[in-house]
Amino acid sequence: MDPLLPVATPPSNPDGGDFFGKSRSHSGGMRRSTDVFGILVATSAGIVPLVILALLAFLLYNAWPALHFNGWGFLTGNSWNLGNQYGDLVKVRGVEVLPGARFSILFLIFGTLASSVIALVLAIPIGVGAAVFLADAVPPRLRNSASLLVELLAAVPSVVFGLWGYVVLIPFTARHVYPLLGHVLAFIPFFGPPTYNGYGLLTSGIVLALMVVPLITANMREAIAATPAALREAGLSTGATRFEVVRKIVLPRLRLPLIGVSTLALGRALGETMAVLMVSGNAINGLPHNVYSPISTMAAFMVSQLDSALQDPSGMAVSSITEIGLILLVLSMAVNGIARLLVSRTQPR
Amino acid sequence: MHAPPIPKPFDPMSVADDASPATATEPVIDIRNLSFYYGDFQALKDITLPLNRNEVTAFIGPSGCGKSTLLRVLNRIYDLYPRQRAEGEVVIDGRNILDARTDVNLLRARVGMVFQKPTPFPMSIYENIAFGIRLYEKLGKVEMDERIERALQRTSLWGEVKDKLRQSGISLSGGQQQRLCIARAIALNPEVLLLDEPTSALDPIATGRIEQLIEELKGDYTIVIVTHNMQQAARVSNRTAFLYMGELVEYGATAKIFTKPTKRQTEDYISGRFG
Amino acid sequence: MNASATSALERRPSLRYRRRYLTNLLGWTFYGVFFAVLAFALLDIIAVVLKHGIPAISLELFTKPTNGVSGGLLNAIIGTFLLTFGSLLLAAPVGILGGIYVAEYTASPFARAARYLSDVLVGVPSIVFGLFGYLAMVTWLGWHFSLLAGCITLALMIIPYILRTTELAFRGVVSELREAAYALGASHAKVTLKVILRACRGRVLTGVLLAMAISMGETAPLIYTVNWSNYVWGGHLTHEPVGYLTYVVWSFINEPFDSAHALAYAAALLVTVFVLVITTSTRLLLSRLDTHKPH
Repeated sequence: MDPLLPVATPPSNPDGGDFFGKSRSHSGGMRRSTDVFGILVATSAGIVPLVILALLAFLLYNAWPALHFNGWGFLTGNSWNLGNQYGDLVKVRGVEVLPGARFSILFLIFGTLASSVIALVLAIPIGVGAAVFLADAVPPRLRNSASLLVELLAAVPSVVFGLWGYVVLIPFTARHVYPLLGHVLAFIPFFGPPTYNGYGLLTSGIVLALMVVPLITANMREAIAATPAALREAGLSTGATRFEVVRKIVLPRLRLPLIGVSTLALGRALGETMAVLMVSGNAINGLPHNVYSPISTMAAFMVSQLDSALQDPSGMAVSSITEIGLILLVLSMAVNGIARLLVSRTQPR
Repeated sequence: MHAPPIPKPFDPMSVADDASPATATEPVIDIRNLSFYYGDFQALKDITLPLNRNEVTAFIGPSGCGKSTLLRVLNRIYDLYPRQRAEGEVVIDGRNILDARTDVNLLRARVGMVFQKPTPFPMSIYENIAFGIRLYEKLGKVEMDERIERALQRTSLWGEVKDKLRQSGISLSGGQQQRLCIARAIALNPEVLLLDEPTSALDPIATGRIEQLIEELKGDYTIVIVTHNMQQAARVSNRTAFLYMGELVEYGATAKIFTKPTKRQTEDYISGRFG
Repeated sequence: MNASATSALERRPSLRYRRRYLTNLLGWTFYGVFFAVLAFALLDIIAVVLKHGIPAISLELFTKPTNGVSGGLLNAIIGTFLLTFGSLLLAAPVGILGGIYVAEYTASPFARAARYLSDVLVGVPSIVFGLFGYLAMVTWLGWHFSLLAGCITLALMIIPYILRTTELAFRGVVSELREAAYALGASHAKVTLKVILRACRGRVLTGVLLAMAISMGETAPLIYTVNWSNYVWGGHLTHEPVGYLTYVVWSFINEPFDSAHALAYAAALLVTVFVLVITTSTRLLLSRLDTHKPH
């Protein structure tokens, strides 16, 4: 899991508004002397768009046979079948594949979206609540240390989250939480029993929520702290309590930044791999029956199926995995692109 | 863990002081030997100052003299900041509001405040005013509409906004926003209105309207205004307190302070020799 | 109108006020519990890793390579070290120079595009980078699963991080300093590297350190590019798979042997401690930089 990048509020820039004007004059000066240094830094920055192009190009090129072979059915079916490994290659729609090969990933798309949505449903209220608590209830002396506790959660490697899910969360929830939940929430569709063995959709959602929540908390905490003091004081001056001021005046102002940072969190949850791989149950070729059912996600599936895909002499399995990767790439770029636009539009003042 | 600010059950102000018939000279707020500290820095030194009921009192003085600080003690808004503390007494209705047991929420509902920059809440014009009322009273729709109309009438905003009550308060002009903030404060029927340089962010026309409004409200409310504009103090106030470097230098009828000040510092400030 | 006649205070000791009191109490409790849940999750993760990891630590761990599902972790420790520093060596110069460009040429549309695309690239799942590394290097270039393929893949992942933190660091440098340096007639390469970079090197360093923590904790892209080896790295850059710690955590915890579990926990302990220590010291460095900011 990635440490946090600042999004809602950029680190302090002492010369604030002057900055753009001033730097523009430098850049003019810099460009005039066309020196090696200028070219060097521009080339380095140029790596970034180059990497994006290369990602798209390589994935598209390698997914091409699969795109052709699988067609639109790739998105609508629930069958990942490499075909008969011992049969001779047959020509289908102009490409050579193993006999009986069929690739479609609706169950992965569903698993990815469902686990991410569960993660957000949990992470947004918890993240915002913890942010309010850190910004308004923790005394200033302890605020940094307390915030560090939450932010370090973002630094824990994905695979360690997976390990914790595997040895702590799954046994605990499968034994004590899910049976109770299934009993109490049986009236809600998809929340009733059977509750299975702990590996599944809800567990994936919980682990993902813990992984993305620091992003929400850190950004919301900064945004809450950046609320003009006069507005808080005005709220208190009407006889409202601090809690009422936060709930009814401070937080409503931050709706757009919250949407931005939640979209960012969504992007992260969609692509999370190792932790999900270790707690999802890695179901294949079927949609989950309820929230406790095993699932798999696009990212986790790419790791779990690599070995067997490499056994396919036609290369169609690897190409189909590449097609999953391509979908994931485009999806994550779209979600992140939108999130970054939202975040930069809505930075408080 | 830091205790969240939750109203305490004991409330020294709960007993309403019905018995006191308002006479013109009776102090509604009695500031006695008040000192104030920002950490180690003493911003107010032993201030004693009675504020009269239903009059306008102006606090004037050069920036940093403590006039805003003094105002911010009167509704204990400084409580928000852990390193700020007050010593001495501020007595309202026979009770010292600096007492730790004072319920600050109730105090603030009774002592309204308007700030330098307009501070409309991020909600509709209607909700801006209803916000404070709802905290303390359960009103039916008709009653609530009436209260809001009355508050807006009082601040001569009704004509300008009656067709767009559902629009955001932020969409109003600066002067309108400030009048909305005053309407919001008086909608709670406070006894005291604290105005912290309420016109410093406004243009002359909007400033004129606010001053006119203060003129209209005086008599019904005890108003305390902090201003760096001496003409404004002279125009709107009955009494003026001149503060300098945390001390109360002179206090008296505005006409007297501006025409025959007794202290040299007051005279220098008023004649524009410093500040 | 008599101001105090309908004063809210007189009806005060009302049910309404008591209900507000209760709502507040409940609200703060909820928020506190939310925070506690997160703090507990972190502490429990650390506790579990310590509890199972410490007993698994032995001298053998650092002296012997993995042997099937037992042995030590020497190969993986060396591999993680090489992958982390190798990727940093590739990414840091590019990221820092790119960050300088984006910070100093704010007027150029290309710089703005590069910044935006960096943010987009940060959000691309690491597994996609792994797939790309596999397709580009392991397959297309005809390398094998290898150290260099892993280093390059990780480097591409962390370049945008370093670029953005460097940019923010540069933007935090006061313009007076810049102007003073230019006024002395210094060339802009000199101004940038000797004056500005020196003034904000602490912040640039935090970006590099965070990138290092990311590299160290990654798994998925390495499965696609480095794979795994029981042997200590033999010196081949492009044709030899390498072991690394995060692989051990993932792969060995699923094996039905105690020795495998012990190795998985030991590896998790090493990775977690390194990553958390780096991140914590970065935060401390940052907060020190914030309090001693020159103005």
